[in-house]
Amino acid sequence: MNLPKVGSSSSSKGSGAINIFWIVLFGVFVVVGGVLIGQLAPSMMPVAGSTQAVQVDQLFQVMLVIGGIIFLLVEGLLVLTVILWRQRKGDESDGPPIHGHRTLELVWTIVPAITVLMLTLYAYTVWNNTRAVMPNEQQVGALGQRFAWTFTYDAGLDDLPPSVDVSTLPDAEMQAKLTGGERVEFQSPQLHTWVGQQVNVLMHTDDVNHAFWIPGMRIKQDLLAGLVTNIRFNPIVPGVYRIVCAELCGGGHGDMAGKVTDNGDLVGAWLIVHANEEDYLNEFYYPEIMSILYPPTDPVELGREVIQDYPCSGCHTLHDLGWTGVTGPALDGIGARTQRVAATGSADMADYIHNSIRNPSAYVVPGYNNVMLQFNPNEGQPNYMPDSDLEAIVAYLLTQTQ
Amino acid sequence: MATIAQPLPGTRIEQPKPGLQIGKYFRWSVDHKIIGVQYLALAFTFFIVGGTLAMGIRWELLTPATDLMASGTAYNQLFTMHGTIMIFLWIIPALAGFGNYLVPLMLGAKDMAFPWLNALAFWMIPPAGILLILGYFAGQAEAGWTAYPPLSILYSPGNGQTMWAVAIHLLGLSSILGGINFIVTIRNMRPEGMGWFDMPLFVWAVLATSIIIVLATPFLAGALTLLILDRVAGTSFFNPANGGSVLLWQNVFWFYSHPAVYIMVVPAFGMLSEMLSIHSRKPIFGYRAIALSSLAIALLGFLVWAHHMFTSLTPALRVPFMITSMIIAVPTGIKIFSWIATTWGGRIRLNSAMLFSLGFLSMFVIGGISGVMVAAIPFDIHVHDTYFVVSHFHFVLYGGTVLAIYGGIYHWFPKITGYMLNERLGKWHFWLTWVPFFFTFFPMHMAGMLGMPRRVAVYAPEFQALNQVISISAFVLGLSTFILIYNIVWSLWKRKVVAGPNPWRALTLEWNTSSPPPAFNFYGDPVPFRDPYGYGTKEAWDYLKEQAQELGPSYPANQPPEKAHPVALAPAAGD
Repeated sequence: MNLPKVGSSSSSKGSGAINIFWIVLFGVFVVVGGVLIGQLAPSMMPVAGSTQAVQVDQLFQVMLVIGGIIFLLVEGLLVLTVILWRQRKGDESDGPPIHGHRTLELVWTIVPAITVLMLTLYAYTVWNNTRAVMPNEQQVGALGQRFAWTFTYDAGLDDLPPSVDVSTLPDAEMQAKLTGGERVEFQSPQLHTWVGQQVNVLMHTDDVNHAFWIPGMRIKQDLLAGLVTNIRFNPIVPGVYRIVCAELCGGGHGDMAGKVTDNGDLVGAWLIVHANEEDYLNEFYYPEIMSILYPPTDPVELGREVIQDYPCSGCHTLHDLGWTGVTGPALDGIGARTQRVAATGSADMADYIHNSIRNPSAYVVPGYNNVMLQFNPNEGQPNYMPDSDLEAIVAYLLTQTQ
Repeated sequence: MATIAQPLPGTRIEQPKPGLQIGKYFRWSVDHKIIGVQYLALAFTFFIVGGTLAMGIRWELLTPATDLMASGTAYNQLFTMHGTIMIFLWIIPALAGFGNYLVPLMLGAKDMAFPWLNALAFWMIPPAGILLILGYFAGQAEAGWTAYPPLSILYSPGNGQTMWAVAIHLLGLSSILGGINFIVTIRNMRPEGMGWFDMPLFVWAVLATSIIIVLATPFLAGALTLLILDRVAGTSFFNPANGGSVLLWQNVFWFYSHPAVYIMVVPAFGMLSEMLSIHSRKPIFGYRAIALSSLAIALLGFLVWAHHMFTSLTPALRVPFMITSMIIAVPTGIKIFSWIATTWGGRIRLNSAMLFSLGFLSMFVIGGISGVMVAAIPFDIHVHDTYFVVSHFHFVLYGGTVLAIYGGIYHWFPKITGYMLNERLGKWHFWLTWVPFFFTFFPMHMAGMLGMPRRVAVYAPEFQALNQVISISAFVLGLSTFILIYNIVWSLWKRKVVAGPNPWRALTLEWNTSSPPPAFNFYGDPVPFRDPYGYGTKEAWDYLKEQAQELGPSYPANQPPEKAHPVALAPAAGD
């Protein structure tokens, strides 16, 4: 009877080769390999633009080293077990009847437990550090809408450019507001700040949930319908960083991210980190304030400026401004679509555009869904758009005939 | 010499073959074996549907702009259906199929505790699946498989979103009924002499899973009921404009859906324990640790749900969920190391089932590592809702569960049909799955970390190269599935290589009967071997030898059959 050997743990193959030398060599390979894998961490992340990013990247690198060690340990053992313990030709025997090994099992319970405990403590420390509040933070409002971002800044009497003489402002209402100690607001699709300044983004949404994500800053926070949420970050590297929506919000979800046009212009949501406060004031803050204090008198020019403060770019294509959204009909050539005037029963082209903004659901262009925001004329209503802005936007869009 | 009633194993038969009786699989039946196959076949059909949708997703993502899909909304519908079908109509029912087929057999039982309930649970799935797919004609659901309000209540105008919720509701009920049935079966129908710690580990895994199902799925049902009411009856549970809360949905949904991740992976752990031990010819290493770690994972799974909400939850509440999520790594690590120790020192048969099992270990560990990474709050805040997370859960659910299901198909197909699958094709299938799998899902980590969110049809142009690598690998991965289909169809069509009762010489009870097993499974009361993993002992060798004498020989024909008359021993159907 050709009964194969049973329970022969003293097999000459394999087990004899496992001695302390090979175990140490394998251990060195795994640890050195893990450390080397960890060196790849910086190449897997975007530029670290904030103090938060630096700490998160360090945490990632530590986890990548540990992960690399575990990866090489497991994959290495798998390769070795297949090479060493594969059935040899003609060997019909079973392996040795080993059911466990208490010390070994304790080791692979306790070592991972201690590792994740240390990791938890480290991650907790990093998380606390990334949330530290600094004095004199810059507060910016962020409104997420389907499908664009709008950032709101404000200015009081003390914040105005030194060249401005409040007593000579053309807009009497604005003048009264400022001298009365109130602050005036202005909007931008971009978030501007400068190196070393902590930013506190206060966010809300009027429609669905969104998530405010700046990959370069390693920060993300959901916008939750019905709640105001916030997140802070401290930029340290000047430059431009894409702002992305990371929570599914509908068909134009991907269009909420900042874009670059073919000729290199930034469109939509971007974070601009200026080198210092002076640059921030001169390149962004003061010019924006000047444009609301002294609005252009030409309605077309004014319209071209104010339309960019509203969340239109995520859904509409308009080459004059570099917009590429596809959720709604293209605004390119809208001024020449005279057949729509008759189709909607509008008095004229201006009336048609006017109605399309004030009451977009009244007429939906065939092939598109009724998803456009309704812009209302009264302050306090959602999606407030004053008549003055609307008239300017209509005037501007009428010039878009190509 | 006695007449040989069964064809010799390993031989090529030229005489007329027995019929397959495919018709019985399309009818109501209370036989757990038929129901098991029904689950598996239906789930696999939906796997093909869900996989085709995945191909559409990858085709769309070849370029940074929308091209295949008419709009972002159409793309959202595509991945919503992909996720929903893969989770609720492929993985969960496929694992329920293995459970149905194997648990009574492994316990030496004639059937499940409640056969009629078992059939009812299965027959809820086809109408749910049809309802889900018919949603295409009524404005398909477009809010992702997570269906976060207000998007899913106020901004999803089609009736498809409601149909989606009703379908999931139905599938949840089916799950609960199945879960109760498993718990009662495992509690009550173990054979004499089989204590809790003598059960095969797959049975332990199904028990742990069923406990999760029964405790967690009612929460999904509650959340879906409120969602449906918000959509059709004008209530405002999740509508903040009228006093509802969007976080309520997230909390309740994830209170089910995180445990559901374990519903989708713990049975695969169980299958792996069986396959690794049998094909290494060595007892499972640390039986109790593996059995109890399944229960530990089931319990801990209820305490980690809010790690899906690290970017929406109140900051102070995030820390406890980081701690519990990190702890899950410990029982999972115990399993992985125990499995490697099981193969270490064995006599590894590197067949298709074993290749897929080792493939599981090699890929699942990556999902485990990235899982610990996303449990760390500061890192998760960066990668939350990005392709990093997409990569993580595909490493767990495809690199883990699907590879285990593939292995399980190669392992138990001989038992279910009585014929072997082709090994050469099986190996092609493995390599053309394992390699493209890695190149499909690993680069997604990079895309996510560099700044690509998930669920977008348009993305920044700098991610195009990565996405093209991913898409092309995905196409190869998709095509490789057809090798398995061809293998199954070819084996059933030709029916050339007879399996015999126990081709793997395994000690668990499902192999202690003919293949396929007769009605009511066994010839008389089967006597379980004292240890389901007692390989390497003289007793096991004798037990298997005696089994072969009783039931006839198996593939590969090690020795000629001395006595082969299992048909005479079989009770008539309905006996």
